[in-house]
Amino acid sequence: MARARRASRRRVVAAASRLRLRDLGSEALAGLLQRPGRSALTVLGTVLGIGSFVAIVGLSETATGQVGKQFNVLDATQVTVSDTGANQASKPTLDFPADADAAVDRIHGVIAAGVWWTVQFSNAAVSSRPGAGQGDQLSLPVTAATPGALAASGAKLARGVLFNQFHQAHAQNVAIIGQTTAADLGISSLQQQPAIFIGGQPFTVIGIIASDPRLPQLNLGVTVPESTARRLWGKPQAGQGASMLIHTRLGAAQVVAGQVPIALRPDNPKLLSAAAPPNPTQLRHAVTTSLNTLFLALAGIALVVGAIGIANTTLVAVLERAGEIGLRRALGARPRHIGTQFLAESTALGLFGGLVGASLGVLTTLVVTIYHHWTALLDPRVVLAAPAVGGIVGLLAGLYPALRASNVEPAEALRR
Amino acid sequence: MTTAAVAPPVIRLSAVAFTYAGPPPVRALHPMDLVIWRGEHVAITGPSGSGKSTLLNLLGLLDRPTEGTLEIDGIDVGSASERDRAAVRAHRIGFVFQSFHLLPHRTSAENVMLAQVYADLPRRRRPGAAMAALTQVGLEHRAHALPTALSGGERQRVAIARALVNHPSLLLCDEPTGNLDTATTKELNDLLGSLHEGGTTLVVITHNPAVAGHAERRIAIRDGQLVEPENDMPAGREGERGARPAG
Repeated sequence: MARARRASRRRVVAAASRLRLRDLGSEALAGLLQRPGRSALTVLGTVLGIGSFVAIVGLSETATGQVGKQFNVLDATQVTVSDTGANQASKPTLDFPADADAAVDRIHGVIAAGVWWTVQFSNAAVSSRPGAGQGDQLSLPVTAATPGALAASGAKLARGVLFNQFHQAHAQNVAIIGQTTAADLGISSLQQQPAIFIGGQPFTVIGIIASDPRLPQLNLGVTVPESTARRLWGKPQAGQGASMLIHTRLGAAQVVAGQVPIALRPDNPKLLSAAAPPNPTQLRHAVTTSLNTLFLALAGIALVVGAIGIANTTLVAVLERAGEIGLRRALGARPRHIGTQFLAESTALGLFGGLVGASLGVLTTLVVTIYHHWTALLDPRVVLAAPAVGGIVGLLAGLYPALRASNVEPAEALRR
Repeated sequence: MTTAAVAPPVIRLSAVAFTYAGPPPVRALHPMDLVIWRGEHVAITGPSGSGKSTLLNLLGLLDRPTEGTLEIDGIDVGSASERDRAAVRAHRIGFVFQSFHLLPHRTSAENVMLAQVYADLPRRRRPGAAMAALTQVGLEHRAHALPTALSGGERQRVAIARALVNHPSLLLCDEPTGNLDTATTKELNDLLGSLHEGGTTLVVITHNPAVAGHAERRIAIRDGQLVEPENDMPAGREGERGARPAG
């Protein structure tokens, strides 16, 4: 018996029945196109699932990109330390130690650092000559700053020089002024060492600032050495405490911010609070997780519903097309040929749904992006993977119907 | 017959029986012997419930005999693997059904070509072969019509073209005129007659006497047993076993 079976198998094997890949493809496609309306409705769930998935990823990437754009290098390398102790005090206080600049300079990753504050006057008057009348006096903001603060602020000079450690150490009456202030005071040249009077005190103007990216207010007023301000007008007023500006290396801001209060006031670090720019990676993470977990879950549910839809339609098709299955078996199809065909049909449905969904997702991302005048950001791998995910969903959804199809008894199916 | 020694019979049943697994088990076919030679035109008749359909399913390899051996072209298909049985169906058996079983969304030519998919004919040769088969049944002018645009007789001829396209050893027809009127039945009889004259081996299962009458050999089946009039035995083959109950 076994020998006879082997012998007969040898005789037939040369002409085994087959289903070529190309035939499989065209048969599956023909099966789907028989009922285009039903096929279209079937893939709706997959379209929704894949589409919302791509749109969510695209929108969150785009939004994160917008957040990232606001992190220019200037902000990302800046730490501001404020004097919380002074802000809560009732009398003029300065919680920064005298050697604050030098202490912070020693922290790894710091490029420049310095203390500054806005001097509060009962009668803030700046004039270019002594004893000027009310009409010739200007009410200008006066800032006290260490040389380190000027360096950290990135001040660019139009003329002259910035004050330095010498002026600071000896509390010299020198000032630097902004370009607009210089024009208001009628100072165009520094060659005659022009003097200005702040609250009656004479100061020599040694520099005119063209721009100051981190402390733009210096541009609009008068800046004097911190020691001079302290000598003439005392510590910062209560509630208007001093600040420290720190210019760090790229990426060091968070670490420096954590170290500064302890480095300056090991006795009571709580008097100072350091603010670093938000960490871009943390922010991106926060955006992705908090906003999108729910939506991704919804997309996943839509995808599952889509898979169930495909499975249901394919199963109905198997029952409806029992006659066709019987015919194909009679024409020489093996059970696996039948199963593969239905599997190919469901996979094609999923793939098609994935393609349409990915297109709609990209379109949604684009529309929202254009509406907000953003720059669209979408990982091409996500767009390319979306149809494949659809195909896998279709494949999984088709497994059970395909199994049913391959188990159809041809004799019974043909009798219908 | 020298040819008999070279070419095995198209169909050989040796003590073939079929029992539907119960519960309770039902004996549909009692052990029977039957030999059908190449080029024969055989009609198998019998009332419903006689075992006709069961015999057809066995001959068409849609079911396996529960006892005995069944050979098609000398191949023991009763015990062959499902893979080999599918191959025999694809290459050696052409089916014609009472309800035609044409795919409604495909043209006549495409329906014929479906049979070539599993027989693995190269794609570029399929349209030509399909057209030749349609010409053989006189429907070449309807090659691109959908079944819905065809008359019943035309549909059955498309089905016959599909059954013929792979040049099978055996054309197995199950009530081919069951859905046709008298005039169309006559046309179909003529077509089957001409196919027989062309050398095709025909086995027609029918309860229509007009169809059975055209066959050169008639086998009746009653209660799962074969009954064949002696004078219907093919001339010169008296020594061979025809149809008779085994044992």
